[in-house]
Amino acid sequence: MEKLIETRELYTDFNTFEGVVKALNGVSVVVNEGETYGLVGESGCGKSVTVRSMMRIVQAPGRIVDGKVVIFFRAEDRSRGIDILRRSETYMTSLRGDSISMIFQEASTSLNPVLSIGYQVGESFRFHRRTQMLEETIQELEAELSGSLFFLARGWKRTQRGLFRRELSVLKAYEADIDRIDHELYALEDKTDRDSLRRKALLNRRRDRLREKSGLAELAKRFPFLSFYQRRLDRTITRHVVELLRSLGVANPERIVDGYPHELSGGMQQRIVIAIALACHPVLLIADEPTSNLDVTIQAQIIDLIKSLKESIISSVLFITHDLGLVAEVCDRASVMYAGDIAETAEVRELFRNPLHPYAQGLLRSVPKVEQVGELETIPGSVPNLIDPPSGCRFHPRCPHRMEVCPQRKPPLIEHSEGHWVACYLYTDGEQ
Amino acid sequence: MSTEVLQKPTNLPPVTRHPGWREFSFSMKRLLKNPLTIIGLVIILFFVFLAVFAPVLAPPPRPHDPFLMPHDGWQINPSPPSAKNPLGTLPSQYDILYGVIWGTRNAFRIGILVVAANLAVGLVLGSIAGYFGGIIDEVVMRIADIFYAIPILVMAMALVVALGRGLQSVVVVLIILNWPTYTRVIRSEILVVRNMDFILAARASGASHLRILFRHVLPNSIFSAIIVASMNVGVTVLIAAALSFLGLGSDTGYADWGAMVSTCRNFIVGPADNRLAYWYLVFIPGFTIALFVLGWNLLGDAVRDVFDPRMRRK
Amino acid sequence: MSLLNYIIRRLLFMILVLFGVSILVFGVLMLIPPGMRVAAYVTSEKIPPDQIESMIRAYGLTDPAPVQYFRWLGNVFRGDMGFSATAEAPVLEGFRQYFPVTLELVMYSTPLIILVGIWLGTVGAIKKDKPADHAIRILAIVGYSLPTFWLGLLLMMFFYGYLGIFPPGTLSNQAKDVVFSPEWTRVTGLYTIDAIINWRWDVFVDALYHLTLPAVNLVILDSALIMRLMRSSMLESLGQDYIRTALAKGATSRVVYMTHARRNAMLPVITISGILFAGLLAGMVITETIFARKGIGWWMARAALQLDVPAIMFNVLFLGTVFVAVNLIVDLIYAAIDPRIRLA
Repeated sequence: MEKLIETRELYTDFNTFEGVVKALNGVSVVVNEGETYGLVGESGCGKSVTVRSMMRIVQAPGRIVDGKVVIFFRAEDRSRGIDILRRSETYMTSLRGDSISMIFQEASTSLNPVLSIGYQVGESFRFHRRTQMLEETIQELEAELSGSLFFLARGWKRTQRGLFRRELSVLKAYEADIDRIDHELYALEDKTDRDSLRRKALLNRRRDRLREKSGLAELAKRFPFLSFYQRRLDRTITRHVVELLRSLGVANPERIVDGYPHELSGGMQQRIVIAIALACHPVLLIADEPTSNLDVTIQAQIIDLIKSLKESIISSVLFITHDLGLVAEVCDRASVMYAGDIAETAEVRELFRNPLHPYAQGLLRSVPKVEQVGELETIPGSVPNLIDPPSGCRFHPRCPHRMEVCPQRKPPLIEHSEGHWVACYLYTDGEQ
Repeated sequence: MSTEVLQKPTNLPPVTRHPGWREFSFSMKRLLKNPLTIIGLVIILFFVFLAVFAPVLAPPPRPHDPFLMPHDGWQINPSPPSAKNPLGTLPSQYDILYGVIWGTRNAFRIGILVVAANLAVGLVLGSIAGYFGGIIDEVVMRIADIFYAIPILVMAMALVVALGRGLQSVVVVLIILNWPTYTRVIRSEILVVRNMDFILAARASGASHLRILFRHVLPNSIFSAIIVASMNVGVTVLIAAALSFLGLGSDTGYADWGAMVSTCRNFIVGPADNRLAYWYLVFIPGFTIALFVLGWNLLGDAVRDVFDPRMRRK
Repeated sequence: MSLLNYIIRRLLFMILVLFGVSILVFGVLMLIPPGMRVAAYVTSEKIPPDQIESMIRAYGLTDPAPVQYFRWLGNVFRGDMGFSATAEAPVLEGFRQYFPVTLELVMYSTPLIILVGIWLGTVGAIKKDKPADHAIRILAIVGYSLPTFWLGLLLMMFFYGYLGIFPPGTLSNQAKDVVFSPEWTRVTGLYTIDAIINWRWDVFVDALYHLTLPAVNLVILDSALIMRLMRSSMLESLGQDYIRTALAKGATSRVVYMTHARRNAMLPVITISGILFAGLLAGMVITETIFARKGIGWWMARAALQLDVPAIMFNVLFLGTVFVAVNLIVDLIYAAIDPRIRLA
């Protein structure tokens, strides 16, 4: 199993009015190629913050303060990945929606109510497959122009073709420049001496400043009737959108693309959100509690959809949930999070069979089982306030096996047995 | 039967203050953190100072009619600022500084009277309309719609002339024309609160309508009204000043900011060699109005920022 | 068709409101003693008391209020709006003369106010809590607090008094000569439009020149409102979940702001624009008085002071109609733009 993406000691803070919320306290997660990874924990334990930090879409007043997020998306990256926290924002925007996609909990509010479905799904193509879209449109126009046409139509199509060609050439030049910069950045990836750092910063800045848009095309877009030339491109994009929706089992996609989010049912809306995420065949799909607000039958449909897509399109899925049953059904490996820390990480069957961390044990015990008699077990106490969290191991106030060392220092995440990691002093045997 | 006494859990944090008070002091602290609030407060306090200490700062020449401005001479042309008239004079030599100081009292009177009266009327009418609903609601709202459609300035002018010029008429007219705003706000708040569960609970336990209205519904709805009121003081003073400007306020020679501004209309352009000669006349009385309204607007904004439930916890 | 139903219902409602307005205003005006109301018909300084008495009786000013009201109403339905003493002409004639002046100013100012307000409001929201935002917020709140008349007078003192440019009034004397000459065809009454129709670009420029200062005055004062609304609307829009989705799609911040956030944020602004337009028409009293433009605001100032009842009644009705009609139009536009709204 090859690593796909990993976070190393990720620290994220939120600067709120009431104080600094230390949401992530050194989170380390590894997702491998081709696996479905589950991130489990109670509400507020930092699961969403973790994945948002991974995608760098933490919204203010949040800030990633330390750590690394390393991706290994290309074959060349096996030996050393790319730390995306140190890259420029333009790099991130090209990753998001293209290599890493995310779907959210509430599908209905995740879609913009005033934009059509077709437009919103089409944006994924518009941002990340623009070259391909432009080339297809130009090819279409060429095919039409080779036939005989009324001279006005001919003139208009030639104008369109000319404008698109211009856009395409500027775009291609831009991409070539970007490639060069990225190449050099990758060569300097591991170097941390001052000169290298300065060069990297310079390259990042330069990358942000490159212009990918053709001045002529932008002008044309703002010109009253000339701007209609874009419609040709829109049609190409819509075609792809319709295909995509159909492949996801959406009925009547031609009609749906002209409609609006509020016209659809909850399950259908979630499918659209999934369509948006999958449009560019991402390597990693992050699903942030995608089914928590749907009823069970729809939930099953969506889960099945994700599973089937994993066979075909996506490589890995990072699944966030608080539902242990879902984890058991869908995930290969999972991590249990508590109050900003990773408590335990293991292969799912192993985790359920042999939970090591007291919190994980408590969690699994509290799930009602068929053969159970008597009271339901709970974990005493409540989730701590993250502005003033408990010292050392954040679980120690509620832990039945609390020892002296627990409040003193955060326990390190160590590999207890193969593939089974736990952060608890019960298993350190005195080693640091 | 168990004889156990319910033990109070020992690990609860000590309750220090009543939650209502805690919210209030939280609001106050938020209020004072914003620099614009401080500026607004300073401005208003400054004007309060002027109003309260008017007799000391600008002793009236005729004690029984303090709003009559003193004038030293009968020259038509206004005089520039000097030792005698620190802010200059109006045409016919009325002292501007005096007018500014005593005009403050008028401004406060108008602003606060109108808004307070409107608030009271709005509370009563809005509560009745919102709480009882049905045909009462319809009637009140239609009448409010009618008032809304009337252009305020024109109507105000006509009314003031009808009732006789003077600041009292201005106050009355503004109260009459402004009540729909507050009524609507209170009514919509009440409509929201009315359907909440705790009202149903109160009814189930047999509370009378009046009691519910006063103890449960109103305290929750009043915040919006306060926000609207605090933002409305400024607008009210502006309209009143406009009416004074058009000659519907006090008579000439009386301390009325709007009227003072209107005296400058013949003196916009000075003599050829000094075209800005009468700048003080054009600038100062109007600036006082602007400053006063600005203070109230800043305060109103701050109040809204703090009390608007959507923006409280950021 | 429910849309047609909706419009018809709103129109009926509008008529109801207008009736209510007319009754209300008439009732108020009836409070004025006949002795004062007859002054509107008096043309010379001193009239002997018995002549006043006969005038009062001639105009029926002592009849019971409902009688006078229905008399007035009857006249209205016959198209006779009465005679306006302040206009020295029938009310409708006066309106025809004064309304285009007001409309011209409002017509040019409203889009400017909205554009400036939307632009600065958006910038303020995007650069929240940075210096630009603070500057914009201060600008908005100061603009909101300024008295109309004060700013106008200051502007006039500086530009016209000191610099000698942008004089008050609607046209220069030369332009007036052209407009009131027999070669001029008056189509709309709006000087700028008529100038184009008459192909007199000098008059066009002259009219615009005179419009500049009052328009600037209005823009400074009223864009503040739009600015604040747009800013808070934009901030609310930016806090929504779909922004998060857009970011996760890989949208650049420009796309997020301009396409996703702004479209949602503009909706409340559209509602206000209608009210702004109606409010400007009604509130021109001060601006026209200061800048010596003879529009309906200027006319109303004089009519109110002299208790010219027919003029007041007509204008209140007219402005009320505009207000209610604009509200209806705004609601329809809103329903057309926001896909979520389906009119009840």
